[in-house]
Amino acid sequence: MTTASDVLSAVQSAFPGAVLESRVESDRRLWATIDSNSIVDVCKHLSEKLNFDHYSGAAGVDWIARKEMEVVEIMASHGAHQVVAMLKSKTPRENPSVKSLANLFWNANWYEREIWEMFGINFEGHPGLYPLLLGDELVGVWPWRKDFKGYPDLTTGQRAVERPTSEGYTEYFIPPTPAEIEAGTVPKEKPKYPSFREREEKEIKSDSEMIMHMGPQHAMLPGPFLLDILIEGERVHKAFLDMGYIHKGIEKIMENRTWLQGLTYTDRMCYVASLSNNECYCGAIEKILGLEVPLRAQYIRVILEELSRIQSHLIGTGEFMTLIAGVGYAPWNFMIIDRESIISLIESVTGARLTHTFVRFGGVRNDLPEGFSDKCRSALKYIESRTKEYIELFEQDPIYHMRMENVGVLSPDRAKRVGISGPPLRATGVAYDMRKEDPILVYPDLDFKVVTGTRGDSADRIDVRLREILESIHIIEQCLDRIPAGPIKTETKVPKKIPAGEAYYRVEDPRGEMGMYVISDGGDKPYRVKVRGPVYATLQTLPPLLEGVYIADAVAIAGSMDGCPSEADR
Amino acid sequence: MGISDVIPVPVAVDEEISKWTIFGQPVADVWFTTTEKIHQIIEMGPIKNIFNWGRKNSVYFLMQPMGCCGVEMFVFGAAPYDCTRFGCMPRNTPRQTDVMIISGYITRKYLPVIKNLWEQMVEPKWCVAIGECAISGGPFYDSYNIIQNTADYFPIDVFVPGCPPRPEQFLEALMNLQEKIKQRKDKRGY
Ligand code: SF4
Repeated sequence: MTTASDVLSAVQSAFPGAVLESRVESDRRLWATIDSNSIVDVCKHLSEKLNFDHYSGAAGVDWIARKEMEVVEIMASHGAHQVVAMLKSKTPRENPSVKSLANLFWNANWYEREIWEMFGINFEGHPGLYPLLLGDELVGVWPWRKDFKGYPDLTTGQRAVERPTSEGYTEYFIPPTPAEIEAGTVPKEKPKYPSFREREEKEIKSDSEMIMHMGPQHAMLPGPFLLDILIEGERVHKAFLDMGYIHKGIEKIMENRTWLQGLTYTDRMCYVASLSNNECYCGAIEKILGLEVPLRAQYIRVILEELSRIQSHLIGTGEFMTLIAGVGYAPWNFMIIDRESIISLIESVTGARLTHTFVRFGGVRNDLPEGFSDKCRSALKYIESRTKEYIELFEQDPIYHMRMENVGVLSPDRAKRVGISGPPLRATGVAYDMRKEDPILVYPDLDFKVVTGTRGDSADRIDVRLREILESIHIIEQCLDRIPAGPIKTETKVPKKIPAGEAYYRVEDPRGEMGMYVISDGGDKPYRVKVRGPVYATLQTLPPLLEGVYIADAVAIAGSMDGCPSEADR
Repeated sequence: MGISDVIPVPVAVDEEISKWTIFGQPVADVWFTTTEKIHQIIEMGPIKNIFNWGRKNSVYFLMQPMGCCGVEMFVFGAAPYDCTRFGCMPRNTPRQTDVMIISGYITRKYLPVIKNLWEQMVEPKWCVAIGECAISGGPFYDSYNIIQNTADYFPIDVFVPGCPPRPEQFLEALMNLQEKIKQRKDKRGY
């Protein structure tokens, strides 16, 4: 089996002198600083020779004291081995610029656009550096740099100036903060790029084509995003996605809150899966601290995360049903009723319906209440019978099959290349699940299957979700049988200041692979938290997937992806 | 203007009708009149109460999830909490709604969108702010991208604190709004 040190020596022998610094954290994590001239070659070598076929994301870090910026590329593999390589390349803080990987990995495009708009790091050879999350006003101020003066901003709304547009709509212009003006950091020249509107209008080739807007307001998706489709008749020729409608700047805010306060923000990243977000953040910090989580706490975490997976899949499937047809309103209601029973179970432990802030560094906040096990078992029995009914219902319905089969098909190779994870990836037949791939907590001891599909179409994605519910029920039942008595928190006192260090921790979110990259500089606040969310990759996949389908199918495909824009926007 | 100017009726009928009044105004005036006049008359009399009774019992709200509270809005609109029994119903387009629920953070990029959604709603309309974010920016109050003073942009009638509030609180909010409409105490004075 390939381990991190094997990878390191392979890279060192292939590119002598390219690895400037390296650290093998464990068999599964490799940290290396690569000479910025050879980063593209190293990544190419990794993906072609060493089975790193999963480009998982990139993070920017502003090291203001060292006067340099860093881009961290996260590379992993789809099951060939379990090593995650964190490759850093450095660039000076004045006119930062690194080589782009977008021509090598298709999905690097969005990650690099985000780093560009937030840090101002230029990517040489990138096909189109346009802002992704920020509105046009904020481009050029580089908000995630450490010396950004526009944060905190307590008067954003008061400074807004209303302007009617030529089309009769209302627009707002929000001038820079007084602090920015005083410090003179308002950029004199903004970067030039075509706006989203101009970019899409450029694609209109003939008179019979037109652009249709879907969104930003969506009635049945848990957040706004703009999906514009270029259509001719009933066919979609091209799709464009605009995000950032609920970009809150969570990563920036977390840098300005204490470690524990930051936990509350992870809840609000993807509110349908707050527990796995909690787990991801706490796991990363436990890794830096080297904390052992007591066994009972590990079981409690697993139980709750699986419960949370069940409710997330139920609401996701319900949303999908309403999206594909008006008559789907009945299944939606049934699924919400079922979900309520799970939610009240979670609530009985955590005290909250959605935003739990339950997982703590080195344990959990409180123990399971009395009688939880029985209540849980009976609720799960009910959910199990219901889920089986749903699966049967979907299997038997010929209209559903005609409507959904072979719609939005992703082949396994393409799915791997575009970097999606979770049910959409597993529906193509790739058994890639963080719970097996990068096991955390007590998952290695538990017996469960990775549910996969065969066709990779919309019907399969829903089917995988529903069968995963059954698998989660199986996991929880095992946990309830085995959960030992004992403490729920570590004996070690968690310090207010986390020692300097960095960690990358991955969990299987209901929507796919979620990773958090946490850097501490020894202070009481994180130096940088980077969230690699599954929905980001899913939404990125959406526009190419919609090319050539019918308009009605566009909705079905977007719905079956179960995207939660809030997590992508952060 | 008399009725006989428009429809051929016997002059006697015309004369008789011109004697009738409604709230002190000649009926003939009301009969062939502008919307404005009708509004004037409605304002004057107890008809308004009947109108508001009708409005109060059909507060359809705009399904517009914008954040965590939006997910609770889903649940609130579905069967378990059965908001329909109070005349609240989720609708998908602003054209069919009476109430806009601001269910989360308003960002710089979303502010014009939500303003346009609000402008697209037909009168009479009301606005309810659900959750800390919709009231003051909530946990993200100091972010560079969040609008804190929602109340300056929308005439919000009911504020519901909570992060997120429970679906029952949504229900309470809409019932408070109904009470306000009934008592004619709402911000826009319907
Ligand atoms: S008030 Fe809390 S729960 Fe509601 S949208 Fe804001 S952060 Fe989310």
